[in-house]
Amino acid sequence: MAKSNSWRQFKAILRKDLVMELRTKEMITSMGLYALLTMVVYQIALAEAGDSFDVRLVMPGLIWVAFIFMSMLGLNRSFVHEKDQGCIDALLLSPVDRPVIFFAKFAGNLLFLMVVELLSLPVFSFLFLQGREGFGNPVWLVGVVLLGASIGISGVGTLLATMTVNTKGKDVMLAVLFVPIMYPLLRAAVGATFAAVIGGPGTVQAFWLYMAWVAGFDVIMVAIAYALYEFVIGV
Amino acid sequence: MKRNPLAEIMLGLGGVLTTAAFFMAFFWAPGTSYPDGRVDFAQKIFYFHVPVAEASFLVFIFTAYYGIRFLMTRERIYDTKARIATEVTLFFVLLTMATGILWTRVEWGVWWQWEPRLTTYFILTLLVIAYFVLRNSVEDEEKRAVYASAFGILAFVDAPISFFITRWLNSIHPIVFGGGESSGLETSMLITFIVAQVGMLMLGYAFYQLRLREEELRERLEALKIEIGD
Repeated sequence: MAKSNSWRQFKAILRKDLVMELRTKEMITSMGLYALLTMVVYQIALAEAGDSFDVRLVMPGLIWVAFIFMSMLGLNRSFVHEKDQGCIDALLLSPVDRPVIFFAKFAGNLLFLMVVELLSLPVFSFLFLQGREGFGNPVWLVGVVLLGASIGISGVGTLLATMTVNTKGKDVMLAVLFVPIMYPLLRAAVGATFAAVIGGPGTVQAFWLYMAWVAGFDVIMVAIAYALYEFVIGV
Repeated sequence: MKRNPLAEIMLGLGGVLTTAAFFMAFFWAPGTSYPDGRVDFAQKIFYFHVPVAEASFLVFIFTAYYGIRFLMTRERIYDTKARIATEVTLFFVLLTMATGILWTRVEWGVWWQWEPRLTTYFILTLLVIAYFVLRNSVEDEEKRAVYASAFGILAFVDAPISFFITRWLNSIHPIVFGGGESSGLETSMLITFIVAQVGMLMLGYAFYQLRLREEELRERLEALKIEIGD
């Protein structure tokens, strides 16, 4: 009984976020536009590198830079709404378990992040990888990295954004806390993406080694974020 | 508010030991030399760099520990303790960075190298700084304490990573203890190191206790001022 109750509460909060997004389309458009703008900046960054430069070498780094800043934008938006419209107060007043709020917000943020990532990756390939060598390993491996790293980003990001939305600097504060905390995850995500993109002997093994690292980070950090969320959201 | 004689003794003793270790390092412990026979003078920084680095990791444990205590009890003193522990951590972290960079320049020929230990330690530095940036940007006192505790616990995860990473990954940072055949020290070097390390930990303890006492006095003063004002 209690379990099904939590499940209903979870679905209700998630549905609220989805409905709001479907009506305003604010998160997806702002995150997507941000990703596009980042690619324009990449064009500038690579402008003098010449045609012989293999973009695949820096591609894993470039996409994760775009995704990390994009995710901060989305995380911040997701809680600014909650706060400005008094939604978080209403949630706290209603008889919803605090962990349910964490998992619902986590799932919502993960969903939006994955959608924009999956949309912007083909665009990146279209703009930068045409006429280049293809991926060395099956493309679905990149999908595995996206999912693995996005879980960590959204999980820990949900906790940090809940805190920073109440600070003076909001988005700047989120960056200050988020980027160093995320370092181990991002480093492994770039390593795994690189192994998937370049290919060759030993890269599949390297890929799964990096993914083990990503999974370890996800389990430990999301568990800590979950444990701390109850304390953070109440004050 | 009672005086803390132990902290004062530790301060004096720590000062004597670290100074003694300094002289021991130069006049007693044998220097290592390069393959071509030149004396490796830069190695002497080991007796300062490693003790401050170990101290930074150890003191940072208290940030997480008192963070947990605060969240459990909501007693303000634990938040103050966590903050002071982080202050002392920052002090040791900056010393580690400064001495490390000097050694890197001499030994590796560059001021900075993105290798695993240096990278994770740099992240640790950023996290410790971020802790204070976070504190400064929250106005509500309870929120500030809760957020800082939560972030302190989360940030602490990087400390064991940074500590053990030279043993996990291919790192060019030296591993002195338990790192295989080429690691380990001669007895006189080991004794010098232990003196320096013990002295540094005493100093860390003394800094923490004395800063805590100062902070408690300041808070009492603020409370008294408000009382008189009423």
